[in-house]
Amino acid sequence: MISNPLALIAEVTHRCPLHCVYCSNPLQLAGTEWELPTAEWTRVFEQAGKLGMLHAHFTGGEPLARTDLVELIAAARGAGLYTNLITSGVGLNEARLQALVDAGLEHIQISFQDSREEAANWIAGAKAHAHKVELSRAIKQQKVAFTVNLVVHRQNLDHLEEMIAFIEQLNPERVEIANAQYYGWALENRAALMPTRAQLENAVATIAEAEKRLAGRMRIDSVVPDYYAKYPKACMGGWGRRLMLINPSGKALPCHAAEVLPGMSFENVREKSLEWIWRESDSFQRFRGEEWMAEPCRSCERRTEDFGGCRCQAFLLAGDAQVTDPACSLAPRHERVQAAVEAANSQAAVATPVQGTFVQVQKLSGDLWKYRTNPE
Amino acid sequence: MALPTDASQPRLAAGCRWGGTGEERVILFPEGAIKLQGTGLQVLERCDGTRTFGEIISELQKEFGKTDPEKIRGDIGMFLEQLQRKRIVDY
Repeated sequence: MISNPLALIAEVTHRCPLHCVYCSNPLQLAGTEWELPTAEWTRVFEQAGKLGMLHAHFTGGEPLARTDLVELIAAARGAGLYTNLITSGVGLNEARLQALVDAGLEHIQISFQDSREEAANWIAGAKAHAHKVELSRAIKQQKVAFTVNLVVHRQNLDHLEEMIAFIEQLNPERVEIANAQYYGWALENRAALMPTRAQLENAVATIAEAEKRLAGRMRIDSVVPDYYAKYPKACMGGWGRRLMLINPSGKALPCHAAEVLPGMSFENVREKSLEWIWRESDSFQRFRGEEWMAEPCRSCERRTEDFGGCRCQAFLLAGDAQVTDPACSLAPRHERVQAAVEAANSQAAVATPVQGTFVQVQKLSGDLWKYRTNPE
Repeated sequence: MALPTDASQPRLAAGCRWGGTGEERVILFPEGAIKLQGTGLQVLERCDGTRTFGEIISELQKEFGKTDPEKIRGDIGMFLEQLQRKRIVDY
């Protein structure tokens, strides 16, 4: 008996005004003309509510790029779902924020790239930082839960303490400190993003200290990078076990990156119901449970905890979606991850100096990384 | 942070609300949900921002007549403190 999915990840568009170098969106982005219209999304939320899903996480791209976002939030809330908006905040002013809250928005998560304005704009490839700071004040005036998300990596981990102090004064209830995960654009830019072991050890200590100091005031959730872990992450809580992602064009995916997997086809919500996709589709059953597992997963006692790790990472790093996630220290192809870790530690992490005008700095960074582009 | 005092008025924190259906009551919060039953459910149903912690304790002490009143106070105080750290309850 398959249990019902818990949450819907609504990737409502791939358009985004930011060009973050750690973006985990696919390199092949869905264009505007393929985006699901309002009525289709509304039907998706209704089906999700009936299927017993609890949360709708609006993400993208930048969800605010959809002019019908207020309607979409209202539709999700109307279907009984808890509504969460994951956003850069670009495209949001006080009036639109008010309209979203009135439509039933319950939680807003704003991403910050750094505490220092120039560095933040450099990483995002857009001048967005000052607006985010201003917007955070407006959010605090609203009856909505507020989380700050901070993606950390080689280029900013050296001043994590300063970044936490910066977030503290924005006064969110929660902060998520997430190490960049290497999918999509982040995988392209891995060499520039991967921290050293020393950076990580410092980060763990800094976060532990901040958690203690801020207990009861600000909850800190942190995501450790799986390249440095002994065992892989339970990606998405297991394939087809808890979550369903609908991409901008209406494809139902078990995870953000699943479209990279060769030989798989994914159903579209324009043609099939969420319930059918969850229970019957080949794609959602493909890596569900344990039948598909090879050794060492098959006989490993951790298989019910981490489900063999991430299928996309297995394909991206080992060329085979069926094998143990190479992030696992027991994986036959673990050397692929070890090699990346060794390369990251062969040189000290010296943040590339950010000097010059915004345009100059972006150009000079061309050798360091690729900025995320926008869909056609 | 400290345990609630008698005068504290516990309530769900911003962005947290009841959800689920009839028998399966849950509290929804930004990154998840907790299924509540038994004592946990009885406690949180009373965390309405109006009742004080002292009142909640005395109501529950009546329900669990045979249990040591100080143990009830200690357990419920710790339960609420944990939820407060998770930013699910405020007081």
